[in-house]
Amino acid sequence: MSEARRLEALAAQWLVRREEPDWSQRQQDELNAWLDESMAHKAAFWRLEHGWREADRIAAVAPPPSRRTSSWMSYLPRLTALAASLLIAAGLGFIMLPARPQPVLAAKTDIGQRRLLELGDGSRIEMNTRSAIRAQVGRDEREVWIDKGEVYFEVFHDSGHPFVVHAGDRRVTVLGTKFSVRRDRDRVIVSVAEGKVRVDDESADAPARQSVITAGDIAIARGASMLITQKSEEKVSDQLAWRNGILRFDQQPLGEVIAEFNRYNLSQIAVSDPAVAQMRMGGVFQPGNVDAFLRLLEDAYGLHVSRSGETIKISR
Amino acid sequence: MFYINEVGRWTQRTMNDANLHRWFQEAVLPNEAMLVRFIRRNWPNSDDVVDIRQDVYEHALIGAQRAIPVTPRAYLLTIARNILLNRARRAKIVSFDLVADLEELDYLAEGYDAENTLVARDQLRRAEAGLDLLPPRCREVVRLRKLEGMSTREVAAHLGVGHHTVERQLTLGMRALVDFMLGGEGRIVRKTATVPPRQEAGHE
Repeated sequence: MSEARRLEALAAQWLVRREEPDWSQRQQDELNAWLDESMAHKAAFWRLEHGWREADRIAAVAPPPSRRTSSWMSYLPRLTALAASLLIAAGLGFIMLPARPQPVLAAKTDIGQRRLLELGDGSRIEMNTRSAIRAQVGRDEREVWIDKGEVYFEVFHDSGHPFVVHAGDRRVTVLGTKFSVRRDRDRVIVSVAEGKVRVDDESADAPARQSVITAGDIAIARGASMLITQKSEEKVSDQLAWRNGILRFDQQPLGEVIAEFNRYNLSQIAVSDPAVAQMRMGGVFQPGNVDAFLRLLEDAYGLHVSRSGETIKISR
Repeated sequence: MFYINEVGRWTQRTMNDANLHRWFQEAVLPNEAMLVRFIRRNWPNSDDVVDIRQDVYEHALIGAQRAIPVTPRAYLLTIARNILLNRARRAKIVSFDLVADLEELDYLAEGYDAENTLVARDQLRRAEAGLDLLPPRCREVVRLRKLEGMSTREVAAHLGVGHHTVERQLTLGMRALVDFMLGGEGRIVRKTATVPPRQEAGHE
């Protein structure tokens, strides 16, 4: 076997083991040591890591049913099987006759999950952790409701049919662009990566108000007020870092950073000391790796970490 | 991988390990299809392609520690050219195409842009297609892992096979699927593939 293939096989083994539930700190140390041995190891491991994560997108696709049926189908006489498959095909055809209006599609993600969906119009959406949406996408209407969580949109351009996202009492209208909408109960955050979108206040008692925000802008809306941050493509890209399986912070208060971690994990971190919650920090983290984050708080910030069950307390 | 100082965009600063990691995955790997095609076209023996690709990545990472390449595509092709020339010199191969193509590096670097974008937009379909290419048993193991989120132990119990069998199928499937996701053929390569080297012509 060639040297490159030998390395690739080793790297694949590391990657598979790292995903196991019993992966330990000792194993992580061993992996780090192996990676530090040579740039060739890093090249092989990082390549697989990246491609394997890209393949996460199959999680959004239902498993093909053909394999399931093939085992019992093979016991039937061939002719019966043919008849059966014709029947199935006919049945499917009937169900798939154009139904109007378009059915509402509902999708959700659990804690720590991400999911990619294709809407029928060529648009694609990617759902972050603990999110729920409904969508109605057909020839005449393109509408998505975010019940909770965070969703990134790549909207197929169609000037005749605006794409509308409802989140709480905000309505975001676009023609074709890339942006994300995050909803935490009554707070709605819209980050625009490309193009521009219009944000309307939909609440009944509010006077008609709307704002157009463009690439690099982040709008944070709560109740009747809406704050638009100054143009910063860097901030928008931090805001969208979850799509690459990472969290990125730039001098944010520890309280906010912890709230982000808590979105992705069953174990919940709590800070009671307001002075600690105000400490600023930055960096790049894997959302699922709470332990590494806690170690960093202990080592670099000298904070005290105590655990009881799923609750983790941070103090000085 | 974890650090506390401010994280800059990779175009701005010197590379620490986390930046290097990110730069490699975001800026280098999306060019794999182009890189592999370039190697294939300029090297007579297709059995060497994986080794050469790995060499290019290793040197790209080493070089990027010191100075950050602004145009990853041209940077990769330059490294690939040097590696090919060195190998050719050692193997005493002279390929006319190699020399000719090298003068068109810039053109190549630009020309593949549209294609890369297309691949990125199509990742979902690619993931499905890549999965379908795997042999049935391997595909089932990958599917249980990716879709059902099962651990190796759970997959082994579910399929009634040994832990090592699952791990082996999973690593083989992972390597083939990754290859496909990055623009390759997504074929499973088992370890005994030491076919006598084919001497193909140096052009397509």
